[in-house]
Amino acid sequence: MPEPIIVCQDLWHIYQGGVIALREANLTINRGEIIGIIGQNGSGKTTLVKHFNGLLKPTRGVVLVKGQNTAPMRIQTLAASVGYVFQNPNHQLFAKTVQEELEFGPRNIGVPEEEVAERREKAIEFFNLQELRLLHPYRISFPLRKLVGMASIYTMRPDVFVLDEPTTGQDNITTHIVYQLIKRLREEGSTIVCVAHDMILLAEVAERMIVLRDSHIIADTTPREVFSNRELMQSTHLTPPQIAQLTLRLKEHHKMDQLFLNVDDTVKDLDSQLHSNSPK
Amino acid sequence: MQAILPISMVPGNSAIHKISPLPKFLWVGAVLVLSFATRNLAILGGITILGLIFVTIAQIWKSYLKVMRIFFPIFLTLIVLQSVAPAFPRPWTPITPLGPFTIYQEGIYSGLSMELRIYCVTTFALVAIMTTHPSDLFTALQRLGMPYVLNFIMTVTLQLIPILQNEFAIVLSAQKSRGLKGTGFSALLPSMVPVFVGAIERVQQLSISLESRAFGSKGIKTSYRNIHNTIWDFMILGVGMLGSCGLLSWIIFDKSLDWSRTLVFAPWLALTLVGVATLGFLIFVFFALRAVLSA
Repeated sequence: MPEPIIVCQDLWHIYQGGVIALREANLTINRGEIIGIIGQNGSGKTTLVKHFNGLLKPTRGVVLVKGQNTAPMRIQTLAASVGYVFQNPNHQLFAKTVQEELEFGPRNIGVPEEEVAERREKAIEFFNLQELRLLHPYRISFPLRKLVGMASIYTMRPDVFVLDEPTTGQDNITTHIVYQLIKRLREEGSTIVCVAHDMILLAEVAERMIVLRDSHIIADTTPREVFSNRELMQSTHLTPPQIAQLTLRLKEHHKMDQLFLNVDDTVKDLDSQLHSNSPK
Repeated sequence: MQAILPISMVPGNSAIHKISPLPKFLWVGAVLVLSFATRNLAILGGITILGLIFVTIAQIWKSYLKVMRIFFPIFLTLIVLQSVAPAFPRPWTPITPLGPFTIYQEGIYSGLSMELRIYCVTTFALVAIMTTHPSDLFTALQRLGMPYVLNFIMTVTLQLIPILQNEFAIVLSAQKSRGLKGTGFSALLPSMVPVFVGAIERVQQLSISLESRAFGSKGIKTSYRNIHNTIWDFMILGVGMLGSCGLLSWIIFDKSLDWSRTLVFAPWLALTLVGVATLGFLIFVFFALRAVLSA
């Protein structure tokens, strides 16, 4: 039985000056889901997710986190339930060393000192930050700084992780760590909301996609459905991953039974087709 | 979440908007000189009323009040503090006791004159800033002979203020998302470091970008916006300067304009003024504390 962890009911957000950034958003995110949120710049993605940890309060409608209305709640209280990893790590990092940075969040939410140390060590190991732990965050490269930003939220152990463009500006190694992080968080039962333009990442990890256009949620379905819907993709000016485009065309030409979202599945299918067609 | 500095141009097509920047800023200079040349409440009040008329003509009341409310607690504090401890040469004339303190005649006068000085200078400065496109202002200053580099520094600095304010709001959100309690000076530190580091990085990148686009090259610089001073602008300039010089001469030569010892405040008026200011100040402190604690 799915357990709703975030619920938005008729959510509207209007910025000062009258700009309507979000209208009539109705959404339920269940515990353990991996959600991808996509849309053009200015479509309302970031506005939507900023309601999850109380950075923005609804102009109209309700946002419930673990059944509680976020409107009267403070960001600091919600931070224990919803961790928000900002797109730019420079907005988060300030401490003298990487390890101090990792300890900052848990201490703020009152985690006992021994557990803070334990969480810090676990994060250092997972994010492979051993050699950086005593360095100043601003003395390390941008991709690694971004990992430190994620690790600093990881140590808070929130129920929901909101990742804002986690792979932007990342090299192959750190992108791979992000993939691993999302998979590991899923194994640990966390809920992940990933706002991204990186369709390859979302095709790989997302179980459900929410598509926004002009401040409206226009689709809430599986990645396969989203990427196979040409009209939806064109109307939002988004491009599916190349492997999805290729397999979609092959499917339309009856060379393939279904749309694949990653290379491994495509190769597996092609391989089985080749084997079944090869002369005995 | 965004914190845009309200001190910026308010687009419009009023008569004040149409005046060239030069007369407007010379008027501001003249008001500055006049306001510090006199303590006469009637003159300072008159200049303030003139400024408010300009605010009305320019139709910038909303933006003007947004800025002035920042000064509101300062005004209240000035009245309260000056009334019991005047920044005025002794002897002081006591009006009435107020608990352990005494309210002085010179204190009330000094508080009111200081307030009116701030009011009139700020009002004229805001009218000039809110009705002038920043580029026009700097083009005008350049025409007056201000060095190009200095002018550019001022432009960039003014542009950076709203950017840094916005950046600070984002950084504060990021820290609150990690459970930071938004109170006290120690709470500001985690936000100040990223903002300053970001500002330094931004300036470094900007300097490289400017040099790569020939900043600092010699010769005449052209401006995207051109300013034309009309006969109307020169008339306004002339009226302003003549009026200011006349008023200044009057202030200098007519010693009877100093009302600091002659204007008598009745005890009930002094008590009401100080009481209202104290009450206002306490209400402000209450709301400020409540805002900080709920942040």
